[in-house]
Amino acid sequence: MMLLPCPNCGARNVSEFRYVGEAKTRPDPTTATPQEWRRHLYLHRNPAGWTRETWYHGSGCRRYFAIERNTVDNAVRTAGATS
Amino acid sequence: MTRRTVGTGDCRLGSRPGEVIDRSRTLEFRWNGAVHRAHPGDTIASALAAAGVRVFSRSYKYHRPRGLLTADILDPGCLLQVGDEPNVRGAHRLAEAGMDVRSQNTWPSLRYDVKAVNQVAGRFLATGFYYKTFIKPERLWPAYERVLRRFVHAGEVPPDGEQLYYDKRYAHPDVLVAGGGPAGMAAAVAAARAGATVMLVEQEHQLGGHLRWGDADDLRVRAELVAAVEAEPGIEVLTDSVVAARYDDNWLAVVQRGLPHVAERLVKARAGTLVVAAGLIERPYVFAGNDLPGVMLSTAVRRLLNLYSVRPGQRAVVVTANPEGDAAATDLRAAGVDVVEVDARHGRTVVRAAGRGGVEAVELSDGSRLDADLLVTATGWTAPTSLLNMSGSNPVYRPDAARFVPDPAATPDTVIAVGGIAGDGTLEELVAHAEAAGREAAARALSLAAAHARIRPTSPGGADAAERAPEPVAPLGLRRHPELFFATPIGGFVDMSEDVSAKDILTAVQEGYDSSELVKRYTTATMGPAQGKLETVNTVALVAHATGSTIAETGATTWRPMYTPVTLGALAGRRFEPVRHSPMQPWHEAHRAAPLVAGQWIRPEHYGDPAAEVRNVRAGVGIIDVTPIGKLDLQGPDVPKLLNLLYVNKWSQLGVGRVRYGVMCADDGVVLDDGVTGRLGEHHYLMSTTSSGAGTVWEWAENWLQTEHPDWRVHITPVTTAFASINVAGPRSRELLARLTDVDLANEAFGYMNVRTGTIAGVADCVLWRIGFTGELSYELHVPASYGLHVWESLMAAGADLGVAPFGVEAQRILRLEKGHLIVGQDTDGLTKAYSAGLAWAVKLDKPDFVGKPELQWQSEHDDHPRLVGLQPLDPTVVPEEASQIISDGGHIVGRITSSRMSPTLGRSICLGQVDAHLADAGTRLTVRLRDGRDTLVEVMAEHAHFDPEGERQRV
Amino acid sequence: MSRKEHDDGAGRSRRRPRYSAWSLVRHGLGVGRDWERAFRHHTPRESYDVVIVGGGVHGLATAHYLAVNHGITNVAVLEKSYIGSGGSGRNTAILRSNYLTPEGVRFYDRSVKLYEHLAADLNFNVMFSQRGHMTLAHNDSSLRTMHWRAEVNKLQGVDSSVIDPPEIKKLVPYLDVSPSTRYPILGALYHPPGGIIRHDAVVWGYARSADAHGVHIHQKTEVVGIDVVANRVTGVRTADGRRISAPVVVNCTAGWSTLISDMAGVAMPVQTFPLQAAVTEPVRPFLDTVVVSGTLHTYVSQTDRGELVFGASVDPFASYSTRGSLDFVEGLAGHVLELMPALSKMRLLRQWAGLCDMTPDYSPIMGLTPVEGFYVDVGWGTYGFKAGPVSGEAMAACIANGKPPEIIAAFGLDRFDEGRLVGEKGAAAVGH
Repeated sequence: MMLLPCPNCGARNVSEFRYVGEAKTRPDPTTATPQEWRRHLYLHRNPAGWTRETWYHGSGCRRYFAIERNTVDNAVRTAGATS
Repeated sequence: MTRRTVGTGDCRLGSRPGEVIDRSRTLEFRWNGAVHRAHPGDTIASALAAAGVRVFSRSYKYHRPRGLLTADILDPGCLLQVGDEPNVRGAHRLAEAGMDVRSQNTWPSLRYDVKAVNQVAGRFLATGFYYKTFIKPERLWPAYERVLRRFVHAGEVPPDGEQLYYDKRYAHPDVLVAGGGPAGMAAAVAAARAGATVMLVEQEHQLGGHLRWGDADDLRVRAELVAAVEAEPGIEVLTDSVVAARYDDNWLAVVQRGLPHVAERLVKARAGTLVVAAGLIERPYVFAGNDLPGVMLSTAVRRLLNLYSVRPGQRAVVVTANPEGDAAATDLRAAGVDVVEVDARHGRTVVRAAGRGGVEAVELSDGSRLDADLLVTATGWTAPTSLLNMSGSNPVYRPDAARFVPDPAATPDTVIAVGGIAGDGTLEELVAHAEAAGREAAARALSLAAAHARIRPTSPGGADAAERAPEPVAPLGLRRHPELFFATPIGGFVDMSEDVSAKDILTAVQEGYDSSELVKRYTTATMGPAQGKLETVNTVALVAHATGSTIAETGATTWRPMYTPVTLGALAGRRFEPVRHSPMQPWHEAHRAAPLVAGQWIRPEHYGDPAAEVRNVRAGVGIIDVTPIGKLDLQGPDVPKLLNLLYVNKWSQLGVGRVRYGVMCADDGVVLDDGVTGRLGEHHYLMSTTSSGAGTVWEWAENWLQTEHPDWRVHITPVTTAFASINVAGPRSRELLARLTDVDLANEAFGYMNVRTGTIAGVADCVLWRIGFTGELSYELHVPASYGLHVWESLMAAGADLGVAPFGVEAQRILRLEKGHLIVGQDTDGLTKAYSAGLAWAVKLDKPDFVGKPELQWQSEHDDHPRLVGLQPLDPTVVPEEASQIISDGGHIVGRITSSRMSPTLGRSICLGQVDAHLADAGTRLTVRLRDGRDTLVEVMAEHAHFDPEGERQRV
Repeated sequence: MSRKEHDDGAGRSRRRPRYSAWSLVRHGLGVGRDWERAFRHHTPRESYDVVIVGGGVHGLATAHYLAVNHGITNVAVLEKSYIGSGGSGRNTAILRSNYLTPEGVRFYDRSVKLYEHLAADLNFNVMFSQRGHMTLAHNDSSLRTMHWRAEVNKLQGVDSSVIDPPEIKKLVPYLDVSPSTRYPILGALYHPPGGIIRHDAVVWGYARSADAHGVHIHQKTEVVGIDVVANRVTGVRTADGRRISAPVVVNCTAGWSTLISDMAGVAMPVQTFPLQAAVTEPVRPFLDTVVVSGTLHTYVSQTDRGELVFGASVDPFASYSTRGSLDFVEGLAGHVLELMPALSKMRLLRQWAGLCDMTPDYSPIMGLTPVEGFYVDVGWGTYGFKAGPVSGEAMAACIANGKPPEIIAAFGLDRFDEGRLVGEKGAAAVGH
C-alpha cells in the first residue's frame, strides 16, 4: 500500500484517502457550450506517467489537496508551487 | 479400520549433532489410517520417511507415484490432507499428536491408484490435449467436463470444517529481514547495532538456513549468529513465518505461524528498508524418470540426514556440479550409504532413472548403468527473487553463474538483497556483505523515518525525500556454475506439480506458443503450488533451446504475490463489519421490531403490522426513529451561497426559523440527494440528507468549499449521530408534543416548513422541524443523542391515551408513496436528471450558477427524457411488483415501476414509475408485465401524490 | 472496402489439419506429422487493408470475422507483447448476458450465443462451461435491482430469474444463507446460461483461425504512432521503426486505449483503473455456479482444475500499475469467508491485476470516430472479455460497411457530446 504525502498530516497509508480524480478546471457554466461542458464532464487526459490530481484525506484531516502521481508506478510527489 | 502401528526407526539413524528432533518424546499420528510415530521436531514427511515411506502422493495428470524431492515447503510430491485442511506441505508441517494425515486424491489407495491408467493413456494426453478434442458434438461437452473435474488433483474442503481463530497485527520495523539464514541473521544484527528496530522473518522452524544441515564449522557459525541475534533486544524473530508479499512503499504481508491459540497471524509491516535474504533454492534437473520416488535434491538429502537423522536410501548415485552435492555425498557415506559420485562439472551426467514405483537403476550419459535406490542431483540454484520482482526489479540472467540474479540498478533504495540471492562467496564474505547491507539498511530506514517525522513536507519530493542519500553496498561476486537444466530435451518432467514434461514444452513451442508466457499458459508449467520456484528456469531453458535463443533473450515470467500461498483465514483475520444503530435500538428490540439492514444501519422495518402503523399515523399519531437521516451543521455568513450552489432551488431568501426542501444534482444534472435545510440563526443552518447520502454530501460540500470557493466563510460539522431523530406524525402529533415541550406549537406561531429550538421532555437544545414526508401534520425532532431513548419513551408514555404507536421504515415508505414523495436511488437511477424526476418546480435556471445547471438547462429545452409519474392499476387489487417493466404493444420496454404498494389509506394499489416522455400524459393507459408473466393495465395520474395532493393535512 | 484477394504466399489462407480426438490418437501413436503451428510469424507487409492494434480477444475476433464474414484478409493484428497478454489473459473468464439495459442484454446475449458455438466454429475447445451464474442480493435495494434485471432479461428472451435462499443453498451448499449474518442473503439473480470459459483458448482459437485465413499476427510489435493526413488515417508506426500504411486502423486495446486514440488525435472519455484478481490452490470441485456479490465486491468461480478464481471491483484510484495490493486480498478473503465460512483453510496462490478502461456510463465505445478510417472498440470497463465475439463480429461489419450495425448503434463515441448515455451504470457497482 502506497503512502500519500498529505500536506497537513505527512505520509499516510493511501487507504486513509479518497481519490477524487484528475485536477480539472471547471468551465464557466454561463458561457460553456453543451459540448464544452460535456467534454469537461466526461473526457480525461488519462496519461501513463505524471499527472496532477485531487485527493481527499477522509480518514484524517478532511483536506482536499493536489498531488502529482506517476500512474505507471504510483510514485508520488508533492504538487508544485501552483497548488 | 485395522489399527496398524508402524514404528519409527527403519530408516532412522543414530543421534546426530545438528538434529532438530527431540528423541526423548514420541507422538502418534495417522497416515492413511495407520498409526505412525514421530518425535517432536519431525515434519510429517520426515517421520514417514524415517518409517520407510517413499511414496507420498500421486501426480496430477498421470497419477504417477511421487516421493520427496526437496524435503521442504516447496516439495511438489508432498501435499497432504491433514484433517479438514487441504494441500498441507507435509515436508514443512511439524507432526502433531493425533493428526489425521492422508494422501490426496488417490482411489482406492495410494498404492493402487486406479487413475494410474492415465500413465498408459498418457501419450494421448499430451499438453493442451483438451483444446483439441471434446469439440463435437457440442451437447456432450458438459459430460466430458464432469469427467475432467473428477480428475482434479487436490485436497478437500469439507463444508463444515472447524473454524479457527486468525488475527492481524501492525508492525513498523525500521528494517525487515526476509530470511533467517546466515546473511539474514548478520544483516539483522548489524542493523540492530546501528540503532534500527528489526523484524527477522524465517520460513523454517529454526534460524540458520543451510548452516543447520552443514558440517561442524557451519553449526558453530550458526550458533554464534543465533546467539548474536538473541543478544539484540531490537530484533524480533518470527520463525515458521514468511514474508508473503511486498507492496508499494515496503508494505509487507508477513504470515506468522506457530502461535498459541492463533492459527495464523497476518503481520502488516511498514518497513523502512526491506532486506531480502531468501537464500537460494536448489533447482531440479530434467531427465527421464526424474520424478521417480528416490530422486532427490542434494539439499533434501542433507536435510533428511542432518536435521531429522533419516537415511534416505541404501545405494546412492550423486550427480554433483557444486560443493553442496559433494557435501551430500560425504554426508551419505558417513551415514553408511553406498555412494557413487558423478561429477557433472566434467560433463558426466544422468540421462535416466529407471524403476517401478521408485528408483532402481540409474543410466549415465556415458552409457553406464548403476543399481541404486537413491539418485541425488546437485545441478544448480535458483534465486527466489519474488520479493524483488514485487519491488519492480526484474532479475537478469547470468550464464556464467547459471542463474537469474537481482539487478541492483533496478532495485529501489528501500530494498537490499543479501546472501545467496545477491551473489556468491565464502561464508565469511557473505556475512561481511550482509553486515554492511544491514548497516546501510538501518541508515536508510532511520533517514526515511526522520523525513516522515517532519509533519509538513514542503519541498517537492515530499515525505519520500530522505535526508541522507543512499550509499551503495559493495556487491558480491558470482561463482562459475555449469549451465545444467536438462539432460536431453525430451525426457522427464519440468513441472512435477502440473505433470508437464520437457517434451510438452517443446511441443508447445512447435505449435506456436513460443514465448515463456505463452508456454506457461498453454502447458500450465510453473502455475502450480510452488509458483515456479522449482520450475521456471528449466522451463525458460527449454523454451530457449526450442526457439534457438538464449535464456536471457527468452526471459522469465513475472513472479507475483504470494511468495508462499497464504490461507484465506489469515488474509481475512477476524471479521470486523461494523453496524450502526440509534440510541433507541434497545427499545426497538424489546418491542420486537423486525430489523432492516440499510447500509451500515440496522433499523426497525416494522413492529408487526405496517398497514396498521400507517392507519395509526393517518388517524392518530405515530413516532418513527429517523436517526440515520444525515445531518450537517452549517455555520458562517456564506452558507446561503453554498446552498445556492449545491441545491437546484433558491436559498437566498430563507428567513431565520424557516425550512425548505432542496434537491442536489451532480455536475451532469443527475439527481444526487435531497433533504431539507433549516435556518436556525443568522449564520446557522442545519441540513438534512438521505441516510445513505450523509457521507457523500458532506464530502461533496467540502470539495466545493475547499477547491472552488476557499474564500467562502462556511464551516461544516457532521452531526448525524450527535442527534437522535424522531418524527412525530399524525393529526394528533401537535397534541402529543405540546405535552412535552415549551415551544409554542400553534399553527400561527410555528407553521408548516418552520424550525424552532427548544426543550422536549426536559431536554434542552432540541431542534424541531415542522415538515411532512408522511403527508400528515408532523414534527421532526432532533434531540441530543444521549437523551434519544428518554425522549422516545417520554413520547410513548405521554401519548398513551392518544394511541401513539411506533412505526417503522415500511410504514414510512407506504405513507410517502401515498403522498408521491420520491426516494432518491429508488425512484431515480444513475441517469435520472431533475426534470425526469418531476422536480421542474424546484429547478431555478435563473440562478447564475449551481451544480448541474448546464445539463439541466439542456434538459429543460429538450422534451425526450423519461418522466417519473404517479400510476394506478386499473385493477385496484393488483400491486405490480417494483421493477416490473412497462411495455409497448410490440413488447418494447417503455418504462418501469419504481415504487409500488397497497395503500391502506386508499384501499387500492398505488405506484410511482418512470415512463417514456410521450406516455407521460395523465390518463394514458400502459401495460405492465408482472413477474408471473401476466400483464396488467395502469393509468398515468396527474400528480405524483395519490392522497391529499393539495397537502392540506400537513398545514393544519 | 474491397474484397481484393491478396496472394503474396505467406499470407494465403490454407487448409489446416483439424483438431479431433482422432488427431490426438494419431499423434499419440506417432503416426502423421508433428502438430502445425497454430499461428505463424510473418514479415510485416508495407501495407494492409486493415491494421488492428491490440492482439487480445477483441482484435483477434475482429480479424477472424473480417476474414470469415466479409472476405477481408489483408489484415494485420499488431500486439506489443504476446497475444492475450492484456485483459484477455487477466480477466476471470466469466460469461453472462443478464445486463440491465435492453441494449446491453441484446448485445451480450449475442456474445453468449457466439461463445456457445465457438469451439465448433474455431475447431478449438474453448471449454465454455455453462454451469450457471448467480448474483446475490443482501439488501432491499439490490434485490430490487435483481428483479429489474430479471424482468428486462425475460423480455429479451434471456433465461434469468430471482431465486430465494433455499434455492440458492441447493445450488451452492457452501453459501451461508442464514439470516443472522452481517450481510444476509435475501435472494439472487440466477442466470443458468452464464458460466466460465478458458480465456486463453478463446484468444488462441481466434488467432489460429485468423492466421489460417491469411491474417498476419505480429507479436512484440508495439504501435508508437498513427499517421493522419487531412483527417484521414494513412497508417501506423511501430517501435521497431517501421511504417505500415493502411486506410483503416482499429483501436482494439484495453488499458492503453487513450494512448492509442491520442496518437490519432481522438480524445476518449476513458479513465484507466486496475482490476485485481486472485486464484487459490486447487481443491476438489465443490462449486459449480459462479457466485457474485455486489455488496461484498466479490465474485468467485471454480475452474476445471479445482482452483477458485476471485475478482472484485476496480481499484479505488486510476493507475496503469498492475502490481496489486494487500488491501485487495484482505478484503476479498474477508468477504469470501463471509459468504462461505468453510473456505478459511484454502490458500491464496497468486494475485494479479489487469487494466480496465472505465467510461462514464459503464458501456463501451464502438465504431467510427471523427478521424476517417480510425475505428475504436474500447472502453470496456470490466466487461470486455464477455463481449469478445460479438464485438469482433460487429466491428468487422462496421469496417466492411463503413457504418456501425444496429447492435452497437447505442455505443458510439458521439453519445457523450450529445448527452445520450447508456443506462448500464445502474447495475454496475460490481457486475461480474
